[in-house]
Amino acid sequence: MRVLVLGMNHRTAPLEVRERFAVADPAPHLTKLVACEEIDEALLLSTCNRVEVVALTRHLDAARHRLRAFFHRDLAGETPVQGAAALENLLFEYVDRPAMRQVFRVAASLDSMVVGEPQILGQMKDAYRAAVECGACGAILSRLFQSAFAAAKRVRRETRIGERPVSVARVAVDLAKQIFESFDGKTALLVGAGEMIETALEALRTEGLRSILVANRTQAHAEALAQRFGASARGLGELREVLPQADIVLTCTAGQTPILGVADFAEALRARHGRPVFVIDIGVPRNIDPGVNRLDSVYLYDIDDLAGVAAANADERRRETMLGEAIVLEEQQRFDGWLLALQAVPTIRHLRARAEAIRLTELQRALQRLSLAENERQAVESLTRSIVNKLLHAPVSRLRAEAEREEGLAYLEAARVLFALDDPDMPGAEAAEPAALDDPLRGALPDSEDPEDT
Amino acid sequence: MIVAIHQLTAALYLAAGLLAGVGLVLARPTLSRAAVAVLVAGAALHGVAFVAFHLAAEPPPLTDLPASVSLMAFLGVLFYLSLLMRSRLTALVVGVAPMAFLGAFFAALRLPHSEHVPFVGAASSWPHAHVLLASGGLASLAVAFLAGVVFLAEDRRLKAKRPMPGGLRLPSLEALDRVNAVALVVGFPLLTLGVLTGMMWVEGTSGRFWTGAAHETWSMVAWAVYGVLVAARFRAHQGARQAAIAAVAGFAFLLFAVIGVGLLT
Repeated sequence: MRVLVLGMNHRTAPLEVRERFAVADPAPHLTKLVACEEIDEALLLSTCNRVEVVALTRHLDAARHRLRAFFHRDLAGETPVQGAAALENLLFEYVDRPAMRQVFRVAASLDSMVVGEPQILGQMKDAYRAAVECGACGAILSRLFQSAFAAAKRVRRETRIGERPVSVARVAVDLAKQIFESFDGKTALLVGAGEMIETALEALRTEGLRSILVANRTQAHAEALAQRFGASARGLGELREVLPQADIVLTCTAGQTPILGVADFAEALRARHGRPVFVIDIGVPRNIDPGVNRLDSVYLYDIDDLAGVAAANADERRRETMLGEAIVLEEQQRFDGWLLALQAVPTIRHLRARAEAIRLTELQRALQRLSLAENERQAVESLTRSIVNKLLHAPVSRLRAEAEREEGLAYLEAARVLFALDDPDMPGAEAAEPAALDDPLRGALPDSEDPEDT
Repeated sequence: MIVAIHQLTAALYLAAGLLAGVGLVLARPTLSRAAVAVLVAGAALHGVAFVAFHLAAEPPPLTDLPASVSLMAFLGVLFYLSLLMRSRLTALVVGVAPMAFLGAFFAALRLPHSEHVPFVGAASSWPHAHVLLASGGLASLAVAFLAGVVFLAEDRRLKAKRPMPGGLRLPSLEALDRVNAVALVVGFPLLTLGVLTGMMWVEGTSGRFWTGAAHETWSMVAWAVYGVLVAARFRAHQGARQAAIAAVAGFAFLLFAVIGVGLLT
C-alpha cells in the first residue's frame, strides 16, 4: 500500500488559482475517485490556502495519473489554468513517508500560511468526516488522520506555537488584555474608519466590549458605523468631550496633523482619575501626538508598534515550529511502525490457519480412535487449542514487534520458509489466497488483542 | 517539632516558588497552578505550626521576632490566596512563594530548637493583638509591594512596546492595581490597629504610651508615611503607576522601620 498526496497550496499556487480549485462538497469527487481501481482510499482537503488529495493505492503510477487527471479535468473545469503545463507547475506531490509527513504537518499547522493558526485542524477534521461518511476513507487513511490529529493536539499542548497573536488586530486585543482585566464595563472610542481598525474593534467586541462611541468627520459616516457596531455616533468636534469616557481609543482618520495631543489626554486623565487608556493609532500620518505615550497611564501603539509586536510574535512561533517538527516526526514514526506491522498480518494469519488446520486434522484422527464422553472430548479439544496458542504466542508476538521495523521483513520471510507457508499443498494454504493478502486489515490487526493468544 | 514543621513549610514554599518560576518561564499554566497547590499545602502546614505554637506555650509566643516573621509570611500567603479566588493572579505566586519561604526559613533558623526550651510568652493580650494586627498589616502591604513591582515592570515594558519575553503571562495592569488598592484598604487599618495595640502594650509595661524607643519612633513615622500614601491614593485619585511606586517605596520603608530598626538596635 502506498500513500500519495497531490495538491496545491499557498506556496505553490496564487489565490486566484486556489479559489478556482476550491471544493465545497468533496463527497461526489471522493466517491468517483474510490470507484476507480487504482485508488483504494481517498480524502480531499479544500481550504482557502490549499486543495489536496490524500490517496491510498496499490498502483502508484496509475494513481498518480488518475489524481492528475482529477485536477486537470474534474477540478479545473472547462477553462484550464494557462494550459495543462501551467497547472502541472502549481501542483506538488509526495509519496509514502513524505506524503504522511505532509498530512501530519498540515494538521499541526506547521505548513500553514500563518504557522500555528488553529482553524486548519477543524477543517481537516471536517474533510475526514466527509470522507468517512461517503465511504472513501478506510482503515489505513483513518488511522493516518487520527494519528495526525493526535500529533496536532500534542504540538498545540506541548509548544507555544499558537499562543502569540500574529495579526495586527489580534495583537491589539492581546495588548488590551495586558492592560485591562476584562472588557466588561469598558468603553471604546472609534475615530475614523478602516478595515484594520474595524477588525480590531470587532475582535474587542468578541472579547466582551459592549460600550462603543464612534466619531467621524462626517456625521453620516459616524452614524453608519455606529449602526453597524451598535454604538452611539459623535462628531469630531465632540472628541475632547467624550475622550475621558474612553478606556480604549482606536483612530484611523485622514489628516496631516494629529487630532489629539498631550494636553487633550492629560485633561482626560484628570477626569478619569488616572485610570489607564489604551490608544491604537493606525492612521498614517499618525492621528495621535506620539508624546502622549509619555503620560502615565496612557499606552499608545501606532501601526509600526503593532506590526513590530506581530513580527516578534511570528518569530517566536517560528522558533516553536522546531519543537513542533520534532513532535510530528515522533508521531509519524509511530504511525510508520503501525503501517509496517500490517505487513506481518497475512503471514501471521497464514501461520495461525496452518496450525489450526493441523490441530483439527490431528484432533479428528485421535477422537476417532478414542471413545470419549462429551466432557472429555471438550477437555481434549481445549487442551489442543491451548497447546497451539501457547506455541504460536512467542513467534507471533515477535513477528508483530519486528514488523514495525524496516528490518522486520527478514523475520517474515524466515517464518514463511520455516513453516513452509508458501507451499500450496500444506494444510491451511487457503489463508494465503491473494484476496486475503490484499486486505491485511481483515482479521487480526497487529495491535488487536486476541484472547486466545495466551 | 515546631522547627521541623517550619523547615518542611519552608521547603514547600521553596518548591512552590521554583515550580512557579519554571511555569512562568516555560509558559506552562499547569506548573503555575501546581505551584499554587503546593503553596496551599505549605500554608496548611504553616497553620499546623501555629497550632503547635499554641500547644507548646500558653499564651502563644507571637511576640518573638522569628514567630512574628513566620506569622507575617503565613498571613501574606492567606491574603494572596484570598485574592486569587477573585482575580487571575496565579502568576503572582512566583513572588509570594519566595517571600513566604524567606519568612518560614528565617523562623526555622531562629526559633529555639529544643522542645524543652520554653518560649517566652507575654502576660497580657495586648502584645499578641499587636503582633497579630501588625503582622496582618505588613503581610497585606507586602502583597501590595509585590503587585507594585510587577506593575512597574509591566508598565515599563508596555510603554517601551516590547513583547512579553518567552512565554510569560502576567496579570493585567488593572488586576495588579486592584491588588494594590485592596491590600492598602486591608493593610493600613490593620497597621493602624497594630500601632494602637502596640501603644497599649507599651503603656502596660512602662505606664506610658510612648517611651521614645527607636523602634516606636520609626514605626510611627512609617505609619504616618502610609497615611499620606493612602490619602494620596484614595483622596487625590493618584494614578496606578504612582500608586505602584508608593506601594514599593512605602513597604521598603515600613520593613526597615519595623524589622530593620529592631535588628540594628
